Amino acid sequence: MELDLKGLNKDALKFKEIEKNREKIIHGSSANAIPTQFRANELAHLFHPQKQFVKVLDIIEENKKTKTFVLVPDIDQKTKRLAYFQPGQCISIQVFIEDGIYKRPYSISCSPKQVLDNNMYTITIQRKPNGIVSNYFLDHVKIDDKFEISGPFGEFTYEPLRDAKNIIAIVGESGITPILSMAEAIYDGILNCKLTILYGVEKEENILFYKRLEELKNKCHFIQVEYLVSDESKSYYEQFSKDLIDPYLENENSFFVSGPLEMYDYVNTLLKDYHLPKKYIRHDAFFGTVDIRGNDLYQVTVVIKEKEITIPCRARETLLCAMEKHGITTQSHCHVGECGYCRSKLIEGTVKTFNDSIRASDKEFKYIHPCSSFPESDVTIELPF
Amino acid sequence: MEKYDAIIIGAGNGGLMSTLELAKYGKKVLLLEKSNKPGGLATSFIRGRFEFEASLFGLNNYGNEEHPGELYHLFKKLGLQEKVDFVTVKEAYHVYAMDENVDYTMPFGIMEYMEKMEEYVPGSQNALKKFFVLAEESKEALIYIEQNKNKLDASYLKRNFPDFLKVSTHTVDKVLEAIKMPKRAQEILTSCWVYFGSPTDKLSFVHFAASFFSMIAYGLKIPYKKSGELSLLLEEEIRKNGGEIKYNSMVKEILFKDRKIAGVHLTNGEIYETNHLICNISPTVVFGSLLPESMVPINSKKLANSRILGGKGFSIFLGLNQSPKDLGLENYSYIICESLDSHKEYLNKSSLKTCSSMAYVLNNAIPSCSAKGTTILEFNSPLMQDTFIKNVTEKNYFELKSRIAESIIDAFEKTTKISIKPYIEEIEIATPITYARYTGHPDGSIYGYKATGMDNLLPRMLSEEKETLLENLRFCGSFSSTLSGFGATYMSGHLAAKGTLKDIEKEEETWN
Repeated sequence: MELDLKGLNKDALKFKEIEKNREKIIHGSSANAIPTQFRANELAHLFHPQKQFVKVLDIIEENKKTKTFVLVPDIDQKTKRLAYFQPGQCISIQVFIEDGIYKRPYSISCSPKQVLDNNMYTITIQRKPNGIVSNYFLDHVKIDDKFEISGPFGEFTYEPLRDAKNIIAIVGESGITPILSMAEAIYDGILNCKLTILYGVEKEENILFYKRLEELKNKCHFIQVEYLVSDESKSYYEQFSKDLIDPYLENENSFFVSGPLEMYDYVNTLLKDYHLPKKYIRHDAFFGTVDIRGNDLYQVTVVIKEKEITIPCRARETLLCAMEKHGITTQSHCHVGECGYCRSKLIEGTVKTFNDSIRASDKEFKYIHPCSSFPESDVTIELPF
Repeated sequence: MEKYDAIIIGAGNGGLMSTLELAKYGKKVLLLEKSNKPGGLATSFIRGRFEFEASLFGLNNYGNEEHPGELYHLFKKLGLQEKVDFVTVKEAYHVYAMDENVDYTMPFGIMEYMEKMEEYVPGSQNALKKFFVLAEESKEALIYIEQNKNKLDASYLKRNFPDFLKVSTHTVDKVLEAIKMPKRAQEILTSCWVYFGSPTDKLSFVHFAASFFSMIAYGLKIPYKKSGELSLLLEEEIRKNGGEIKYNSMVKEILFKDRKIAGVHLTNGEIYETNHLICNISPTVVFGSLLPESMVPINSKKLANSRILGGKGFSIFLGLNQSPKDLGLENYSYIICESLDSHKEYLNKSSLKTCSSMAYVLNNAIPSCSAKGTTILEFNSPLMQDTFIKNVTEKNYFELKSRIAESIIDAFEKTTKISIKPYIEEIEIATPITYARYTGHPDGSIYGYKATGMDNLLPRMLSEEKETLLENLRFCGSFSSTLSGFGATYMSGHLAAKGTLKDIEKEEETWN
């Protein structure tokens, strides 16, 4: 086809000049050092540090089995500024106990404003009957102890484009910690929503932050709190009811559910009556361990770099738990299979997993999340190093 | 310690492809990646019951057995093409202009495209024909140049690609004017300029035309299991062919011995030896931060300082709790622009008030990509200046990104008259900060360096060998000569592997 490109006929000669012209431009530009600092990368580092080093500034005894730890940067380790976070997010904290290396996620219980004003986080830890890490914190951690923690993470946050402006938080026991952070943030003007906290506990003395919650409720009309305590006839979570919830409902409501596993079934059944689309019910990820029983003992071989380490693992124990006990450290954050941080390749054997948050491609190429996988046979996995 | 024939830094598309190719040639290779999985932006992530695609909305230049694109040949050569299940996207794009309240749906297939354009802009057919002839010639010419970079035969070029030569130094706008394409047809044709990151008064015609030709002629593909499937397939193939990959491995410094590349030093203290490096990261980072000052060639400073970073990523990932049909989302790819004039639009995209976007309904390509009765809708709205980054503080970040996302979603709703917001079940917003975090690229640029003036495709390709400023150090990925995009970055890996194989041969000859 004849392309009438008359106007451009002479331009064919310019092709030969391309390299020279480029050279000219490069030659004429500055020979100064290449920039090494970029603001978006600096901000990325500020918001999402891989590690932060902190020390314990203060410990507050909330009740017999619960303590709040105030964490500030450990300047000796070059952490100057703690990362800003969204209320409801957590950090994962690393502890060395006997031969083990453990990482556990804890919700940040203070307002993000505490980072801006005081460069600090608070985490509140309650003793669990067999909790290796919680018992360690309550019995052994003292002021000035130093820890490595992760950057803030987690999706249990208020998102104005998704959630209703009226939030009903259904809370059990220490599940209050992320919700307190949200309430503080509403009070500080950081979150622009209403929050009703329906807070249940086994015994009255288990109520955490009572004074602070009352203060927030009295000072800020966007915040409401109701307390429920188990009695002889009904546990606290059986007292969550339509009668209790209905007075706080508006046209559009989001439910934020945070508490121990035993209350979830009940709460889910209760919320079914409202026929809500899934988007209006959000769960804190920390619903504890899943009921997988069995005492069978399997061998788990962990390939890390070129080394292989074989450790025992019970059928009811996650691969990550077994690794932690034996001092094998890998990346991990959420411990419930959601964040994908501990993603590893299953080389041999089969596992049972309690969470389906694995990408379709990962399933095809046999990647698993060791934090939510239980062995069903002897297993070999390869860590991502 | 055993020495590697080559070490590749960064497991993005280019890094994966070059590693695989070198491994297939029997070379002892090590691929280092700072994160815990392969792919770079070629990945996916889960929120709630949704798995979002991070970046791939259509693999260009692939085609099929009958009409193979360059990328198809490469996949076939490496034995990959039978191992991925692709779907073909159903239409090229559906563009809306807010200022005029008009919209156009453009199909794949050259004939179909021209017919549709004639329907929208009567009298455009002749110019369109010329465009596609020129576009095809440009594509062939670029392939020839790529394969014969160092021994270009001027008379061969003149004989086979005379028209290509005439347009080779011009912008898109200039050539479309020269072939007298009606203004409106030009605007519809170039409304996908954002794929390239440069407005049509800056973007090279031959680059645009060659890519556009592949897109319309071969269509766009996506793997069933999203782009992670491609990345994981490449990972597996590398290992099968004896290549090594180390994750959570970030390079701190490139090591030299007698002024020659000798290896790399990682932030975890490990050292690996090699004489050959391929970097799937930016020259800005390599020459600015990874080399000892005494080894930085003065020309690499001048080159880096002569370039401009391309657009910075801003994306919104939505999981909706209705099916595309119930929502009224009929198309796969929506281009929502404030104006069809790409220069004006470029300026819009430089301000914080931008609300234009490219939106993709993933389910309209892969119906099974999310649960029944749900939809994955993803928006890309790259920011062309640093206004966003300059305005971010710790305190306003989450609110600011949410506000920009809202204006983009609002504009989509208003233009298409489709309601989205009430159905948002999951949302994730990625900003330049997110892209900087995951890629490490300066300021979260997703296009590498901006394609403009003498930093357009052809000048980069022609100067590539000359600009290999340090012996045995090559680049791939969006910052290299092929520029950005999935097809381009895979090809860049192939070219870097080819270059490195040559370097290794040369070295062996000297030894013998």
